[in-house]
Amino acid sequence: MSRPGWAADAFALLEKDFRAELRTRVAMSAVGVFAFAALLLIALAMATLKDARSAPLLKLPDPVSLDLLSRLSHPAWDPISKLGLLWVLLCFSAFAGLSHSFLHEEESGTTTALRLTMRSGSVFAGKYLFNLILLVLVALIITPVYMVLTGMESGSPLVFLCVMVCGCVGLSAVATIVAALAAKAHSSGALYGAIGLPLLVVFLLMLLNAGSALYAPEPGLIATVRAVGGLLSYGILILAVSALTFQFVWEE
Amino acid sequence: MATSSRQIDSQTTRAATGVPGLWWKSATVIIIAYVIYGAFFIAGGAVNFAGNGNIGRIIFFHVPVAVLSSVVYFVGAVYAFHYLTRHPDMETDAKSAAAMELGFMFCILATVTGSVFAAAQWGSYWNWDPRETSIVIMLLLYAAYLLLRGATGEDPVRRARLSAVYALVALVPGLFLIWVMPRLPALQSLHPPDTIIRMDRTSGTYKMVLYPSFLGFTMLFIWLFQMRLRCYHLCARRSREL
Amino acid sequence: MSLAERQVNEVVKPGQCPPVPCTLAAVDLGRVFGGREVFSHIAFQVGSGQVHVVTGPNGSGKSTLLRIAAGLLSPSAGRVDVVWNGRSLDGVDRRECLGYVAPDLTLYRELTGAENLRFFARLRGVAMDRPALVHILSEVGLKGRGRDLVGTYSSGMRQRLKYAFALLGSPVILLLDEPTANLDAEGIAMVERLVAAHRMQGGLTVIGTNEPREVGWGDAVTCLGVGN
Repeated sequence: MSRPGWAADAFALLEKDFRAELRTRVAMSAVGVFAFAALLLIALAMATLKDARSAPLLKLPDPVSLDLLSRLSHPAWDPISKLGLLWVLLCFSAFAGLSHSFLHEEESGTTTALRLTMRSGSVFAGKYLFNLILLVLVALIITPVYMVLTGMESGSPLVFLCVMVCGCVGLSAVATIVAALAAKAHSSGALYGAIGLPLLVVFLLMLLNAGSALYAPEPGLIATVRAVGGLLSYGILILAVSALTFQFVWEE
Repeated sequence: MATSSRQIDSQTTRAATGVPGLWWKSATVIIIAYVIYGAFFIAGGAVNFAGNGNIGRIIFFHVPVAVLSSVVYFVGAVYAFHYLTRHPDMETDAKSAAAMELGFMFCILATVTGSVFAAAQWGSYWNWDPRETSIVIMLLLYAAYLLLRGATGEDPVRRARLSAVYALVALVPGLFLIWVMPRLPALQSLHPPDTIIRMDRTSGTYKMVLYPSFLGFTMLFIWLFQMRLRCYHLCARRSREL
Repeated sequence: MSLAERQVNEVVKPGQCPPVPCTLAAVDLGRVFGGREVFSHIAFQVGSGQVHVVTGPNGSGKSTLLRIAAGLLSPSAGRVDVVWNGRSLDGVDRRECLGYVAPDLTLYRELTGAENLRFFARLRGVAMDRPALVHILSEVGLKGRGRDLVGTYSSGMRQRLKYAFALLGSPVILLLDEPTANLDAEGIAMVERLVAAHRMQGGLTVIGTNEPREVGWGDAVTCLGVGN
């Protein structure tokens, strides 16, 4: 890893992955279609909730206030659970498509060529960046749609952005190392979710904790920094352990 | 390979001459027997517990097992670290795997005993109390580790490496469960205060049973660990003879 | 100065090896797969300008031996010593200065031949402009097919592209496993030419094969699976 230019190698791999991805669109469509299908399911569930709640609306005397209407159309969940649901959605979408990064290399046998030309550190960095960018793109598209559908507030925009970015950093770290493990274990999709999701339970709890700081009535600066920092530290720790142990997965 | 075969030979000869470590194994039996007796006849009924405090007696078995279930994960992770950095041989891998398997077993025991206690004390088998959440996540991590081991077939070296890496990566959520989660304000509110057992408020008879219980279960773990390791050795020898 | 830097700084034409002494020695090599011993106590030495052939029946571990020599697989026993210009190279360093052609090597099907070569040349630190690309493609008989996706190539063309990949950065060591698999007569002649040129330029070659014709290219032969 001390070899000069490992970052250049990582960017070369990133560029190659994007070139191949733009041509085949396997990971992109897997993540995208999954995310939108899940979003549709959630929207449908919301609609049924809306129906169930708007039934007594018909019996209400006129005039119905706009405020009441909007409250009825948006189920009365607290914003923290909405944030949690959004991240459950993003986690499942990530796990639907991000395994592609390593599984494809392993299945098509191109790892040999990569191992002949790259160090393990560059491979991990390149794959991690690819997964991170893909996840950020999906989150950028999904989150506004989800916010419109569920009426999730953003709280303080800056903190919300921090939470989302820290979440993406952690989620793509888990997705990358688990994809590498699952690919080397020679058993595709099924194993990927089963060994990855247990790592994400604690991650989701940290996210909910960050959400509680985000939607607190009077958010204290220290509490917010602690909550978001806790989330970020989980991601960074997973990333660090993965980067340090990845060579043992990559070498044989 | 050469070292492990030598160890097997020495173990078989020791097994032929007598039970190794007989003294501490009999001590384990005596301590566990004392704990079983003490839990029902020495310790008094706990204050603030249902059923005249008799419900509290499960604590002598539940708490040591629950504590062990997370400590054993660290034992497994330390062996995994050793495998990757210092001793990349099958012996270290077997130790890591044996610890994880026993940890999984302790974790199941802790979950079941905890759930029984919760049903009797709080009226429901599952309350999503943070401690229950932690143990269920721990259970998932153990299960995922064993699943990965099982799924990585043919090549034992690859299996050893992948499972060691997973053990270390899953150490991060493990550490968060122990150090960070109890300090989260969002989760504190769910937390019924009476699950925390304050040692300074427990009576002398309780300590007389609880402390030996910790010792006894730890020794039991070491004993089971050695037995599991011998199973691995026998399996390795059989596959070589075939 | 690292090897990669050397390869960038010394402008060498593809296929040309810098005349630096290099040896590859297998010392008491053994490999176990899932409790089964593939081979053990293998020893040989190859020097500059030599061709070494590894033969043996199916399952005797020819490919495994070459993978170990390439540093792609760690041996269960013994070691492979590669000394290049008086410097000993470990498995990871070794991988970056050798050319490897084998059935288990695959290039990206979703990229074109030229994109594959550009990508790997960039990783190897080899300048790959258009003339260089045309030169290397025509050398392996793929002139005019660089813009096609590798997925559309025939198996013989893929084998030829593997040679273009292996020759990137003009490695001193060539490891060829079943070098003429899927190749036509012209392709076989190309490989023979390549091996001869590599030998002339002082490079060392290890070939794993069972073809009598290719066994004849070697200066020495290691036969696996005889003792068992």
